[in-house]
Amino acid sequence: MSEIRADRDPHDQAPGDEAAGGHDIAEGVIGYMVGLFLATLLTAVSFFVSQTTLVWRPSIPVALSVLGAAQIGVHLVFFLHITTGPDNVNNVLALAFGVLIVLLVIVGSVWIMYHLNENMMPMVMDAPAPK
Amino acid sequence: MLGRLSWAAIPFDEPIPLFTGAAVIVILLGVLVYIAIKGWIPYLWREWITSVDHKRIGVMYVFLAMVMLLRGFIDAIMMRAQQAFALNSGGYLPSDHFNQIFSAHGTLMIFFVAMPFLIGLMNLVVPLQLGVRDVAFPTLNNVSFWLTATGALLVNVSLVVGEFSKTGWLPFPPLSEATYSPGVGVDYYLWSLQISGVGTLLTGVNFVTTILKLHAPGMTYLRMPMFCWTALAANLLIVAAFPVLTATLAMLLLDRYLGFHFFTNEAGGNQMMFMNLIWIWGHPEVYILILPSFGVYSEVVSTFSGKPLFGYRSMVAATLVICVLSFMVWLHHFFTMGAGASVNTVFGVASAIIAVPTGVKIYNWLFTMYGGRIQFSTPMMWSLGFMVTFVIGGLTGVLHAVPPADFITHNTVFLVAHFHNVIIPGVLFAAFAGYEFWFPKAFGFRLDQRFGKVAFWCWLPGFYLAFMPLYVLGLMGMPRRLQHYDVPEWRPWLIVAAIGVLLILAGICFQIAQLIVSIRGRESLRDEVGDPWNGRSLEWSTASPPPAFNFAALPRVEGDEPYWEIKQRAREQQVLRPEPAYTDIEMPLNSPTGFVSAFFASFMGFALIWHIWWLVGVTFVGAYATFVVFAWRDRAEYHIPAEEVARIDRENRAARRAALARLAEAAQ
Amino acid sequence: MSVAQEPARRDPYGVGRAPRVPFRQLSAEHAEGGVASKRIVVAYGFWIFLLSDIVMFSSFFATYAVLTNETAGGPSGRDLFHLDVVALETAFLLLSSFTCGLANIGALARRSLMYYGNMAATGLLGGGFLFLEMREFAGMIAIGAGPQRSAFLSAFFSLVGCHGLHVTLGLLWLLTMMAQVYAKGYRADIQRRVLCFALFWHTLDIIWVGIFTVVYLTGLAK
Repeated sequence: MSEIRADRDPHDQAPGDEAAGGHDIAEGVIGYMVGLFLATLLTAVSFFVSQTTLVWRPSIPVALSVLGAAQIGVHLVFFLHITTGPDNVNNVLALAFGVLIVLLVIVGSVWIMYHLNENMMPMVMDAPAPK
Repeated sequence: MLGRLSWAAIPFDEPIPLFTGAAVIVILLGVLVYIAIKGWIPYLWREWITSVDHKRIGVMYVFLAMVMLLRGFIDAIMMRAQQAFALNSGGYLPSDHFNQIFSAHGTLMIFFVAMPFLIGLMNLVVPLQLGVRDVAFPTLNNVSFWLTATGALLVNVSLVVGEFSKTGWLPFPPLSEATYSPGVGVDYYLWSLQISGVGTLLTGVNFVTTILKLHAPGMTYLRMPMFCWTALAANLLIVAAFPVLTATLAMLLLDRYLGFHFFTNEAGGNQMMFMNLIWIWGHPEVYILILPSFGVYSEVVSTFSGKPLFGYRSMVAATLVICVLSFMVWLHHFFTMGAGASVNTVFGVASAIIAVPTGVKIYNWLFTMYGGRIQFSTPMMWSLGFMVTFVIGGLTGVLHAVPPADFITHNTVFLVAHFHNVIIPGVLFAAFAGYEFWFPKAFGFRLDQRFGKVAFWCWLPGFYLAFMPLYVLGLMGMPRRLQHYDVPEWRPWLIVAAIGVLLILAGICFQIAQLIVSIRGRESLRDEVGDPWNGRSLEWSTASPPPAFNFAALPRVEGDEPYWEIKQRAREQQVLRPEPAYTDIEMPLNSPTGFVSAFFASFMGFALIWHIWWLVGVTFVGAYATFVVFAWRDRAEYHIPAEEVARIDRENRAARRAALARLAEAAQ
Repeated sequence: MSVAQEPARRDPYGVGRAPRVPFRQLSAEHAEGGVASKRIVVAYGFWIFLLSDIVMFSSFFATYAVLTNETAGGPSGRDLFHLDVVALETAFLLLSSFTCGLANIGALARRSLMYYGNMAATGLLGGGFLFLEMREFAGMIAIGAGPQRSAFLSAFFSLVGCHGLHVTLGLLWLLTMMAQVYAKGYRADIQRRVLCFALFWHTLDIIWVGIFTVVYLTGLAK
């Protein structure tokens, strides 16, 4: 296609690409190191929350979800360079659409199946499948 | 050596598939031999099979869809005939066979008629409307087509080798599990859809990227033609929904092949989860079908009313709202499965709400026509037929959306009438309208409108006769998919329905005749200029058919209806736009990757179905190797020199100049 | 009706009969610029594909959530999961994501040591992850807790196994990318593929965050 323009487009950024305008290698590496540190921290906290008796038990799934979401955010920002700048609008919108679908599928399924299972007649405890 | 494949797979004891299969094989071989003798194979290989040109791929998709429409329609005739006869008798189709027929009918029509037809139209038109040279990933486009064709091939092979699924067009467990469907039928279905599903998903990725990232200079998002917006919404839905289908069918495959327990009766499987997941895909699927159809109608109605589309922005908003809401209504397909009042209410209300943006669209089309100068061309007639008929179907949809009412109508033929009442006028009429509308762009000559109008007048009453009785029957209590019945009151209605199908058959015959007559008489139907309908969007600014590069220079878009304003200016000033500065153009090279990987995929699917494990391994390696070979190529493009571009473009400019002069003369 | 003159009143919604006056919207520059560059087009297309992959994983996640308690009298997650193995797998994958990012920088900067070194590290770490996971699976199958035992185990093996399959394909791709840079240098299309590979690898780590949170940590919560 003969109408290709220069790769560094101030209005648009390839998802996952290093920030437009360029920066030197050291800056890039530092970005990844910060991300690694934060992700490790969040992972460690998640493991701790799961294994400790100090946290109120019913809140553990919520706490783990929040920590997991935070860590996914760290990955998106520091490893995938998804920012909220105007050059990232398309990337963020696509991500938002994906997140919406994921939430609908998971939350919707769990909610519906819970209700369906509630309304099923009580069954005898299942035996394992015959070989 | 050959898994569970044996001579018993060929239906020697069933006359209908045996003779049909034999006839199809003979015809296919005859066609292939004819093509070979005429020496057309190099041409077909170079210009069509390995082509990465979106226009060629679009035509191939539509061709596939039309051939599969014939097969799916024959299934429909067989079903109507069976039900017209089978009062207190077994009819002429054994139930085994009848079950395969209704399953094949639905599977073919949705996956291998409706989807390819619309994807074909999008392929042909969207890059032209956007003012660019091709889609974002042309070779991937070719791969998508051939994978879809592989899926269609596998379904058709099941007619002669083995059997097809008997579970309906969606394989509900536990019937579809290995315990209750131990044969190859469900496996044919599953592998066919998994393979073509990859193709469809890649199309979704391709078109979302194209529509969002490839525009002619100056074409902002809100200057895109409506067809591009609906194509965007549909492809976003493809990207979001098809992975769920892939996952769900994969789970069923794991159950069948490796003894997993997702949906089995024992060890904790949950069949309701299959319904839940499959309809999470299934509902967006029908919006994937209807949204591009609405886009076709927007183009046709505004062109043949001679007015810009009314309420463009509200149309865009309505499209995007439908896109998002379509993911929030899926439970209405299983209100009766027992989720309880609170869940049913939420989804019932959501299903009623989703009718609103569709209503907005209908009103916008009506207001587009109001005050316009309407030409009753064939595409416009399909659109008018759609508007009236689809509204009826939509209303019965809203009726179903009320859970207590749905408890009466679910899985009766009332439901069958409803979904045909939205899909046939909604999707199929749009396909026919788009086919007639863009045929001259694709091939350089128009279709004979007389035959088209006769076909329409057979289809429309035929549709009403075939499906309105089903509403009555559904309310009388007739369930769907009955191979025979013993209620005499139903029979007169079923006979009327059968007559309707015969009328539709006449319509199809006229459409086939239209094609033949138009090809024979193409010189008198020639589209010299490239704008046979006085169109409003950029595809009409190219020659018919457009050159490989579409536009000699990408048009600079300044207004909302890019081509219309160019044309008006030219008419006023009696002169064409100035010649662009012709430069060399780089176009993507043809590639056999699609055809070769589909070849391996076909055999791999067949091998998986028949448990020929060594062949699975060999074909998998072959498919992977094809991909690696493609990834290793060094040359991806070829050059068209500026002189050649200039020569081609000047031809069309001369034709347009002549047309302009003729218009000026006629005006005096 | 002449096109060149400005109409008397604005009609941005196209409800009147005068020609519509377009006004600039926020993303005007976005689409107005014309055809986007190949790097952006390829990466964006791959991003959309990755989102579809994430939706596919969400189906498996949803199935796992629904079938978690369907153990059919057999072992549950509490009986089968080992936190230390999971911790090691997580460490390997997270570190490999880090080295992958460095490899991408190396490719952009055309620094061969940085590129090949970090790609090799990514590969080794990914391979270590897979080794641990396959040992875990083999161990479970050996004690009769294979995917055919119960719906819960079917869901577990398919969710975690699907991720493992993606990691395996990713390793094949990694080797291919090392070979391609070696054979063809830092050509623009090879660079685009390295970017897509990095996107893929990071996404796999994101999905692993989901897996260890939902499957292992929740299953083993005290």
